[in-house]
Amino acid sequence: MKRKGREKKRREGDIPTGSFSDIAFLLIIFFLVATTLTKVKTITADLPSGEKSAQTQSEKTPIVNLRGAEVFLNDKKVTLEGLDDRLAALELADKEPGDRVIMLESANGTPYESYFQALATISANDGVVAIVEGEE
Amino acid sequence: MKKRNQRKKRKPIPVPIASMGDIAFLLIIFFLVCSEISRDNSNVQVQLPYSEYVEKNEARIAARVAVDASGEIYLDGYNVTTAKDVEWGVRAILAKTISDDQRHVQFKCDANLPKEQFEPVLKAIAEAGGIIDAVGEKNE
Repeated sequence: MKRKGREKKRREGDIPTGSFSDIAFLLIIFFLVATTLTKVKTITADLPSGEKSAQTQSEKTPIVNLRGAEVFLNDKKVTLEGLDDRLAALELADKEPGDRVIMLESANGTPYESYFQALATISANDGVVAIVEGEE
Repeated sequence: MKKRNQRKKRKPIPVPIASMGDIAFLLIIFFLVCSEISRDNSNVQVQLPYSEYVEKNEARIAARVAVDASGEIYLDGYNVTTAKDVEWGVRAILAKTISDDQRHVQFKCDANLPKEQFEPVLKAIAEAGGIIDAVGEKNE
């Protein structure tokens, strides 16, 4: 019995903390590798929700049509640069939100690339995009 | 001269490494506090559209919607079946928000996808009250 007690006392030891800093640095390296610092590039478009109304479809409201890769503003074919110039001339930024509405209509099969570029051009000129249901 | 050399040998400069562990743990805590767990749909491979108007997004994103080249729709990384699911999901997320700054919804879509597949999703986000942040590449 006496011998057993002695053995127990001998087993008492320190907690090994020597490798703590190594573990910590490994964790830091893990976080550095796993973290993504890149920010995505976007265009911001506030599309008003709700059903179509007579007010939004007034004749004054400019309408942008996308037919494949071609762009039309009020049924006149324009380039993206031309659309930008025409929208800039409207000076939408100085208008009330209700008067900034630009209708966006697209034909079936229009690729997202064209849609995105039109959306970006309208948004860059402070236009509020109202998506028009295309003809089926 | 001999005496000087002896002195130099006696005084080796110790590098203080005792606090290295503490510094390391402080750095870990810093990373844990500052990092935001990514909910990006990075596994969704899409060809992004180009525009000269895209800018680095500083807004805090409430939800992330992606449509891949095959037309599969993802909401915060989860595959959903219809645009209506996106509307309900985004509506539920935005129900907790109080200001316009918190309504930003990231939209990532393949550049070649036809209108029939992406437009219902865009409308769904708009119907749910989200401000669309459409992801693209800068056209130099």
